[in-house]
Amino acid sequence: MNPTMDPAKELMSPGHLACAGCGAAPAMRWALEALGPRTIVVMPACCWSIICGPYPHSALRVPTFHTAFETGAVTAAGIRASLDMQGLQDINVMVWAGDGGTFDIGFQALSAAAERNDDIIFVCYDNEAYMNTGIQRSSATPAGAWTTTTPGGKIRPKKNLVEIMAAHRIPYAATASIAFPDDFISKMTKAKGIKGTRFFHVLATCPTGWRIPSSHTVKLARLAVYSRAFPLYEVEDGERYTITVHPRDLPLRDYLEPQGRFRGLTKDQIEGLQEEVDRTWNRLTRLAGWSS
Amino acid sequence: MQRKSGPDGALPPGSITFSDMSWNRTGSWRYLKPKFVRKFSPCSESCPAGNDVEGFLFLAGEGRYEEALAKILQESPFPGVCGRVCCHPCESACNRRISDDAVSIQGIERFVSQFEPSRPPQPGEPREEKVAVVGSGPAGLSCAYHLRRLGYSVTVFEKEDVLGGMLCLGIPRYRLPRRVLNRDIDRILALGIGLETGRRVGKDMSWDELLAGRDAVFLAIGAHAHVGLKIEGESCQGIMPGTGFLKKVNLGLPAALGRRVAVIGGGNTAMDCARVALRLGSRPVVVYRRTREEMPAIEAEVQEALEEGIEFEWLTSPVRALVDDGRVAGLQCTRNRLADPDDSGRRRPEPVEASEFVLDADTVITAVGEAVDLAVLPHGLKVEKGVVWIDSWGRTSMERIWAGGDSGPDQRMVVHAIGAGKKAALSIHATLRGNDIEGIAEPLRIGSSGSFSMERYLQGEQGGAVPVREVVRPEQINLDYFEHVPRIVQPRRAPSDRVQGFEEVNGGYDKNDADLEAKRCFHCGTCDLCGNCWRFCPDLCIRSGDVPGMNLLDDFHCKGCGICAEECPRSAIVMEREL
Repeated sequence: MNPTMDPAKELMSPGHLACAGCGAAPAMRWALEALGPRTIVVMPACCWSIICGPYPHSALRVPTFHTAFETGAVTAAGIRASLDMQGLQDINVMVWAGDGGTFDIGFQALSAAAERNDDIIFVCYDNEAYMNTGIQRSSATPAGAWTTTTPGGKIRPKKNLVEIMAAHRIPYAATASIAFPDDFISKMTKAKGIKGTRFFHVLATCPTGWRIPSSHTVKLARLAVYSRAFPLYEVEDGERYTITVHPRDLPLRDYLEPQGRFRGLTKDQIEGLQEEVDRTWNRLTRLAGWSS
Repeated sequence: MQRKSGPDGALPPGSITFSDMSWNRTGSWRYLKPKFVRKFSPCSESCPAGNDVEGFLFLAGEGRYEEALAKILQESPFPGVCGRVCCHPCESACNRRISDDAVSIQGIERFVSQFEPSRPPQPGEPREEKVAVVGSGPAGLSCAYHLRRLGYSVTVFEKEDVLGGMLCLGIPRYRLPRRVLNRDIDRILALGIGLETGRRVGKDMSWDELLAGRDAVFLAIGAHAHVGLKIEGESCQGIMPGTGFLKKVNLGLPAALGRRVAVIGGGNTAMDCARVALRLGSRPVVVYRRTREEMPAIEAEVQEALEEGIEFEWLTSPVRALVDDGRVAGLQCTRNRLADPDDSGRRRPEPVEASEFVLDADTVITAVGEAVDLAVLPHGLKVEKGVVWIDSWGRTSMERIWAGGDSGPDQRMVVHAIGAGKKAALSIHATLRGNDIEGIAEPLRIGSSGSFSMERYLQGEQGGAVPVREVVRPEQINLDYFEHVPRIVQPRRAPSDRVQGFEEVNGGYDKNDADLEAKRCFHCGTCDLCGNCWRFCPDLCIRSGDVPGMNLLDDFHCKGCGICAEECPRSAIVMEREL
C-alpha cells in the first residue's frame, strides 16, 4: 500500500521497444528491482534483444551482454568465472531468455550449466511461442494453441521445464507470474541469496501472439494461475516442492476462452486439456505434500 | 545522444551503450490514453442525505475519526441518529455485496459519531434574510442547520415542548437513546438557531403572522394524524393509535396497556409498538396482512422483534373489534393469500373465504400509517394525495413556502427527511439570492438519484483526480484484488436481558471492529494509492503526484495499453480516445 512511485529510481528506462501491454517488460522491471544495480544481464536472441533498444542505447541501466541464441547460460557462466577471478562475488549474473532460448535452442547450454551448478540466475520469460519472429510454435507452446506453424492448434503438450531443471538437482527452481508481483519479487529475492544455478520460469503474457487486447495481459496471467494452467510453486534442491499461490476453483475454459489463439478448440478438446491440467495439478500437489 | 570519442570523432570500438531509451517517444504509438478520475460510489449516490460515504469510510479506515465525523457533518447533522436508526439505502447499494456482504456503513457512522469533529460546523457569513422552520423533526432541523451554514438567521417553531419530532416522540429509546439524539440536536443549536416551542403554527399562531417579516418558511410538520383501521367497533376503549402510544411512553406518561396487545401493521412503527409493549410487561402479537417478505419495517427490527419472542400473525387482517362493556375484548380476523402485485409493487393480500377467527386481545394498537394533519396547513396550499404538494426542489404552490419530510411526498424515513431539509435549504438559498436552483445544483449532483453535495457547494471542488459524474457499477470492480472478508456483526444485548427495560439493544463497534469493517470498503471510483497502476505498467509511466490520492501519467512514453485501467481495483482510471 502507498508505494513510492518514482520511475527515475528504476533500473529500466521507459521508451523501450516492447509492444503495448507486453508482459515481459514488467517481468524485467521486477527482476531488477529484486536483484539491484549490481547485476549483469545476459541476453540470448529473444524479444528482449529488440525491446532493449538499438545500439548505442539500452533500456537497462545495468550492464547487458547480448549473445547468440544457443549460448545464454554458457555466456553467463563465463562472466561468472571472470567475476569470481576478480573477487566480485556480490555481482549477480542473470540470463534473460525467451522460451526459444530456454526450452529449445538454448537448452543444451542451460542443462550443462545446471549440471555444473554454475552460480547464475537463469530466467525464462515464457510467452509460449517465437513471438518476435512471427508467432512460430516452440516446445513451450501449450497444447491446443494456434501459432503460424500450428494453424490447427498444437497437438503435443508444453514441456515441463521446471521438473527437468529440478531433475538437475539445482538449489532453486521456481515458476512466477506477471500477475503476482509480490510472489515474483520474493522468489527473486530469495534466489539472490542462494549460490548455484537458480532457474525461473515466468509466464509472460504476449497480447500480440495470444490474440488478446493489450489491456488483458495481467488478467490472463492471473487466470492462468487461478485455473491451475500455470501453478506458482518452487522446488528447492530438486526435492522440496512448495506451492506459493493458492489457485481458485476456476475451470480451464475461463482461461482459454478469452484468447484468440484457442478460438478453434472444440468443447471436447477443452475437456481433454482440462484433464491434462488436472493430472499435472494432482501430480504437483502430491509432490508438494498437499495430497498423497 | 551519440557521444563522439577519439581524435577522429568515430564511435568507440565495442558494444558500449551511451544512453537509455527514454529519448524514444513511445507515446506516439498510442490512440487511447489513461485518465485518473474520481467517480461516485453507489453508496454516496443512494444516500438521500447526500453523504460522501466513501469519503468518510476512507477517513475512518485510516483511524481519522474526527475528520470522518466532520465529513459527515458537511451533509447531515444527524450522525448519531443515522448511525442507529437509518434504513441505510447505502448498504443496499454497496458494491461489496457482489463479493460477500455490504459494508456496515451504519455501524461505522455510529462509531465515528462519538468523537468530536475535527472541524465543527460553523454558521456562514451573516445574511439579512430570515427564515422560519416549522417542525423540529429531522427535516426541519436539517433545513435549519444548512440554512445557518449558509448564513441565514433561522427560527424553529415546534408545537411540542421537546425537539426532534418523531426522533424524540416516535422512536423508542432502546433504538435511539435520548443522550445520542440530544448530542446531535445540541450541535445543530450551537450554530445559533432561534427556538419557539410549545406553539403550533396554524393554531396558536397564524401563518400570516409567521410569514410577516420572514423571507421564507420551511414547513416540516410531519405526519402525526391517526389513520384508522376502518373496521367495526374501532372507536371503543382499548384501541389506540401507535404514534400516540409511542409518544406517551417517550414522554414518560402512563400508557394503559392490557395483558394481550394486538399491534396492527408491518412497518417500523408496528415493530416499535410491539417491542415497547413487551418491555411494559404485555404480551404483544403483530398482525400483518402480507408475509414477512413484504413488511416495510427495517429487516433488523423484525429480526430483533422475533428474537425477543414477539408473536406474528402474518397474512392476517382484522375485520371487526369485539367489544365488551365499551372495551375491546378481542379481534375478529381473516386469513389472507397473496395475489398479484399492486401499485406499490408488493403482492396484494386477498381474504381467504371462511377463514375468520378471533384473536385474543384486550388492547389494540394501530400502526397502519400516519397522515398529515391538513387542518393546520396554510389556507390555499396545494395538497395532493393527502400530503403537501412540492416540486423536486421542495417548493410548494405558495410563494415563500417550502415543504418536505413526512408532510411531503418523500419516503417516510429519517434519512429522506434529512435530505428533504437539506434540499429545501439550498433551494431557499438559490431563490433568496435570485439564482436558478438547477444551475447551482447541477455540478453538485451525486449521480442521478437527486442528492447533492453541500460540501462541494460550500468549499468548491477538491483537488486531485478529475471528477467524472458517473457511478461505479459492480462489474467495474476488479474483484481479484479483494479477499472475501465477512461483515462484522455489531454486538447486541441478549433478548432476555434487553426486554427488561429501555437500554440500547445494539452495542456498536469497538475501535478494532470499526477499523476492520471500514477497511472492507472497496472505495469504488476513488484512488486509494494502492499502486497497481504503477506496479503493472510495462512502460514505467506512472508516478506519485504532489496531491495525495492522485497519480501522474508520463505522457511522452505511455503506449496506451490499458493495463492500468484494467487492473485498477476500483475503476478510478478510464481510457479515453485520443485520435
